[in-house]
Amino acid sequence: MIHIVTPENEHLFRDEMEQAYQLRHRVFVEEMKWTDLAKDDGREIDQFDNEHAVHMLYIDEGKVLGYQRMLPSTRPHLLSHVLPQLCEVERPVGSHVWEWTRYCVEPGHRERGRALSPVANALLSGIVEWGLAGGISTIIIEMNPLWLLRLVQLHFRTMPLGLPQKIGDQDVIAVTATFDQRTLARLQEMRGDHEKVLAEPGTTWRRLAG
Amino acid sequence: MNESSPRKALTQTIGFIQQLERARSPTEVCGMLLPILSRFGAEHILAGLIPRPDSNRQQQISHIILDHWPADWSRRYFTHGYIARDPAIKSVSLGASPFLWSDLRPLYRDSPAAWRVMEEASDFRLKSGFTIPLATLEGDVAGFSIAGERLEIPPEERGMLTLLATYALGRALLLREADLKTIAKLSPREREALQWAAEGKSEWEIGEIMGISEHGVDKHMRAARMKLGTTSRTHAVAEAIRMGLIN
Repeated sequence: MIHIVTPENEHLFRDEMEQAYQLRHRVFVEEMKWTDLAKDDGREIDQFDNEHAVHMLYIDEGKVLGYQRMLPSTRPHLLSHVLPQLCEVERPVGSHVWEWTRYCVEPGHRERGRALSPVANALLSGIVEWGLAGGISTIIIEMNPLWLLRLVQLHFRTMPLGLPQKIGDQDVIAVTATFDQRTLARLQEMRGDHEKVLAEPGTTWRRLAG
Repeated sequence: MNESSPRKALTQTIGFIQQLERARSPTEVCGMLLPILSRFGAEHILAGLIPRPDSNRQQQISHIILDHWPADWSRRYFTHGYIARDPAIKSVSLGASPFLWSDLRPLYRDSPAAWRVMEEASDFRLKSGFTIPLATLEGDVAGFSIAGERLEIPPEERGMLTLLATYALGRALLLREADLKTIAKLSPREREALQWAAEGKSEWEIGEIMGISEHGVDKHMRAARMKLGTTSRTHAVAEAIRMGLIN
């Protein structure tokens, strides 16, 4: 299940957020070698982990197996303040546009050469469920261009914001990806059920999104 | 005012992606790609999923998604099982970055079989080629190749080519999937009626052959037209042929 953590409920998720920051450090610093994010305490936290961030955690029996963070495009985010060179057109801004960052899955729960792993599917479904309920239709993504084909196949309508560029030794492209009911249906079809992946269809995140 | 080259490449790429929404078949996708690719010297396009090494010829051919490749060469290639020795296929399977075929030469210097494939290809106006490896949602490895007598691909244009390849293949895969869903909806009787219609039989003649009334044939044909999203009998037959449903 995906749990959404915001300032309003973070006191209920102290341990899980701790695990999330450690997972981020293991994946982005130790595995992907984004060494400028390294922290002595092994928790990867940056300037965007503030009160405006929406954290999404895949939690199974108290263990955080997957994580992603949504940032509003109307406030400073990676594309506006860290990687502006990736956007060669007018930067997308609006209450319906959020930036998707720090997507990561515990190594043992990733896809093994096939389709999407259950954790990966739930994380993506989480964005779509959250977005459809809160009037958010578009996410900004900075990623390896190799991922683009998979998003297209998942019925995300993506549009490049610039051509791919080298950052360090990685190819990176910024895109917008717009989703709708078809995207959700495709993700549900792939995992074989129509259950909600978001733990609480509560009012917290709906209010924040609006 | 002159647009700078990268900006122009981006504008062109975005225009292509928007245009792709209107493509109704892989052939139309190729038709939209060719004018853009011609400035690199490319005349031919081939994209598909890499088949398993033990697959037969028919399976290999069914893995092709975009096909604007010299037909004579494809026939020769698949008849002789060249896929197993093709150094470009091998590099795609190994997850390489996009490459010019000429970059592969050092890799197959000692393999006469691979040399032969590449030499023979050049007899079919496929002298020079560029291949982009891609990965699908299902975890399959895909390759997207363009070729011609002489390709000129400046390194700064490779990013644009990767985007064009990704979107073209993505669109074609979605179209193929929609076709497969449509095909699954048609009943065997509806297909049979379409097949006879394609052979120029009248409703009455089809009824005689299938042992049903003319009214029954009409019912099957109407259902088939609806499922294929077509309004006329001719259009339904054309769609069924395009999908490989009848021949």
